[in-house]
Amino acid sequence: MSKEGDLLHVVTFDDMTPMRLRLGKLLIWGSAAVMALTFAALALAEAGYIGLEFENWRPALYGFLFWSVCLCIAQVVLHGEQGKRTLFVLPAALFVVAMVIFPLVFALGIAFSDWNLSSPTGRQFNGFDNVRQMWGDPFYWNALKNMAYYTLAILVEYAVAFGLALLLASDIKARKFFRVAFLMPLMLSPVAVSWMVGKSMMEIRFGPLARLARWLGWERPSFFGDPEVARAMIMMMDAWTFIPFMMIMILAGLQAIPRELQEAARVDGASAWRGFWEITFPLMLPVSITAILIRIIFKLKLADIIINVTSGGPGGATDSVTSFIFREYRDRSNVGYGTLLAIVYLVLIVVAITTFMKLVDRWMNPRY
Amino acid sequence: MKVDLYNQLMRAGRLGRRDVLKGMASTGALAAFSGVATGISARPVWAADNASLRAQILKIPGVGAGSPTDADWQKVGELCLGPVKEVVQEGEFAGVELTFMGLNNQNLHNFLFRGFLKPWEAYTGAKINWIDLAQADYNARLQQSIATQTVDFDIIEMGAPFEGDVTGRGLASVMPDWVKSIIDMDDYVGYLKAPVGTWDGKTYRVSIDGDCHTFAYRTDYYDNEEFAKAWAEEGDGTPWEPPTTWQMVQKHTKFLAGKKDPLTGLDAHGYLDPLKGWGGFGFYFLESRATAYAKHPDDPAWLFDPEDMKPRVNNAAFVRAIQDVMDVMSTQPPDQINADPGTTAFQQFLAGTGSMISWWGDVGSNARTSDSSVVGDVVGFRHLPGSDDVWNHRKGEWETLASGPNEAPNMAYIGWGVYVMARVDSDSKKQKAAWSAAAHLGGKDLSLWTSAYPSGFQPYRNSHFNYGEWEEAGYDRAFVEDYLGSNADSYNHPNAAIEPRIPGIFQYYSVAEDELAKGFAGQYGSAQETADAIAKAWEEITDQIGRERQVELYKASLGL
Repeated sequence: MSKEGDLLHVVTFDDMTPMRLRLGKLLIWGSAAVMALTFAALALAEAGYIGLEFENWRPALYGFLFWSVCLCIAQVVLHGEQGKRTLFVLPAALFVVAMVIFPLVFALGIAFSDWNLSSPTGRQFNGFDNVRQMWGDPFYWNALKNMAYYTLAILVEYAVAFGLALLLASDIKARKFFRVAFLMPLMLSPVAVSWMVGKSMMEIRFGPLARLARWLGWERPSFFGDPEVARAMIMMMDAWTFIPFMMIMILAGLQAIPRELQEAARVDGASAWRGFWEITFPLMLPVSITAILIRIIFKLKLADIIINVTSGGPGGATDSVTSFIFREYRDRSNVGYGTLLAIVYLVLIVVAITTFMKLVDRWMNPRY
Repeated sequence: MKVDLYNQLMRAGRLGRRDVLKGMASTGALAAFSGVATGISARPVWAADNASLRAQILKIPGVGAGSPTDADWQKVGELCLGPVKEVVQEGEFAGVELTFMGLNNQNLHNFLFRGFLKPWEAYTGAKINWIDLAQADYNARLQQSIATQTVDFDIIEMGAPFEGDVTGRGLASVMPDWVKSIIDMDDYVGYLKAPVGTWDGKTYRVSIDGDCHTFAYRTDYYDNEEFAKAWAEEGDGTPWEPPTTWQMVQKHTKFLAGKKDPLTGLDAHGYLDPLKGWGGFGFYFLESRATAYAKHPDDPAWLFDPEDMKPRVNNAAFVRAIQDVMDVMSTQPPDQINADPGTTAFQQFLAGTGSMISWWGDVGSNARTSDSSVVGDVVGFRHLPGSDDVWNHRKGEWETLASGPNEAPNMAYIGWGVYVMARVDSDSKKQKAAWSAAAHLGGKDLSLWTSAYPSGFQPYRNSHFNYGEWEEAGYDRAFVEDYLGSNADSYNHPNAAIEPRIPGIFQYYSVAEDELAKGFAGQYGSAQETADAIAKAWEEITDQIGRERQVELYKASLGL
């Protein structure tokens, strides 16, 4: 470590002897070699080039753990005090590599493979065949189109959530009760919502909603028979569950706005609408964007209600990408193609969310 | 026996313990008398050599004496150990550990097996480790174990449709001859005999269950005088009685549109088609409509061509079945397009909506026991309807058989069995232990108990269908004859349609459901287009799994 410059946070000075440096490098490269040898032995044994027999790939995990531990120790050996600081981050980084990066890379390998669990040939690399299949797969494009509809519905959900938040922020009677009551749908599992609302309340003969519909003059109520109606019902059930989430975020934002701003506007003669549109709404934009962003991420995972209530029907009208992948992967054991669809969906989500954030950033922080 | 069936029979029969004991005593006496008076050759199969043992186990805990417990299962297991003791010495498997993978549905299946096998463990010295799975996790767990070569179990409870995935890959152990003699396979109902349970002539399966679709209908519709009168005016001149062919089902369904249900006063409906998918299981219901059209008595195949795995799902027979569904869609309850088979059976038929369905045994048993059922006293059963003509796929023409309407009951799912995995074959002691455990679970006497008490399993042996035995035990004869009779007729039908036990069969069903949903939603121009889309998707699956091997395995499964 340098003995010059800002020494405020320096605890000790380390003497890095050549021997110590060699030991550190040896730890890193030696353990890396052990890990590489383990991987190679497993790969060669798997391919039948060597006579060793391994029951599973667990030795590779042990190799990685050994290398990780040595790498951490080597940081201290090589860099002393600075190395100890590195240790605050390095184990977490290695964990992320093991649990996120590696599976992602592994998933990429599977995504470009023909791997049907029922096929005796196992996993076979098939280049871009899965991409081509996806390109011509009407079920996937239909699901993507539905996702666009579902995502657009967030705008309506946002408007409702904002209205409810304004209501709960104002001086109404039993405000605390309503705050808790309005939050309750969020506490329900979407699976419970599917059964309680989709399967029971909307049951066309005895369900209370069907009875209400008949009382209102809809002679043969059908909530999931028509594609548009079915899609709208799924949107409503999902909205019912998650509007409280947006509402609570917006409510927190509203409570953070100083009252003086509204009072000053009123003194200046602003109407209630102008007070909302020109003061509250702009001030709420950062919270709103965050709420919408998180809601979009939730929405893109929409599957449970669809799987339980409509199985994607009628005729795919309510299918989401996740529910389609669920059928492709789980019911049809089509691991390679299912993984590719998931990876493509992930890329689309990352690109869409990044673009959305950039646009919002430009809109909210214009550069003149 | 399914739990619901047991409850239903209890409620229908209003049994008391005394009645039951009387029944048991009569059964024993009858069995003994039959044996003495008529001699072995003329004795009923069910009486066999163990009449007293059979009577004894049927008293555990006693029909109508509450649900059996683990102690009861152990007692039954202990009493039925005789055949195992003939081939296994006490303590012979000391030190052997086996892993058994099965289901935990309704706290049955593996829970019973544990009890049955406890005395077996005590006698043989072996130890069994258990892997319990929920039904929904079963397929994924099995397929992943196979694909990743991590089969970590020695014995598995498995449905016959998965035989292609397991036995077709050589993962199962071939049944030794001594097991065959213990379990008396000749007593199996017709369709459970070879080729089911066999591959390339080798036997792998110890059957412990039977499954098939039967036809349930509302008797009050057919006893209704107004309907009879209206049918005489509007119908085709045939009498107003439960339909025996799909042609009649269609006519009755159309006739009932616009009329009122005699029980509920709401809209009357005819046959209910589940139009929504159900994880692949929904396709069985189109099959049930199609088998009478598609399964020719001279041809064992009906879903694929055995020569090249070309799908038959778009031939004239299946297209007619799809068209039948489309033709009566307007007569179905609102939202039927969102009704899966479960909804159709339990939320509609049992709740008084619709007059005819196809289903497994549960509908019969739930009819009187389910709190939501209103049709308990007005439900009748028979095997699936036939057809006036049958499609001869090889000739490419419809044929009218001299014998009358073609019938082809759909053996949907075939039933559960116990299989031993090939990984035990390298250790002869372990192999013998695994097979003796499987044989114990599939034993003839033990199976009588599982068919009579809640176990999750249906009767599957001819000896289970002796109605006299049921009656003597105290059950309601009329119901047993009607309900179990429809199963027995289906099981032993010479033209039963047995599904292909090939790898990935549920993949075919699952993708068919997706395409059918599009067809029913009007996204394809016709039934033929819908069927062609299914056939195209099936071809892709066959190519992906490997056509040559599928052909080979399909032929093996057909016993060709």
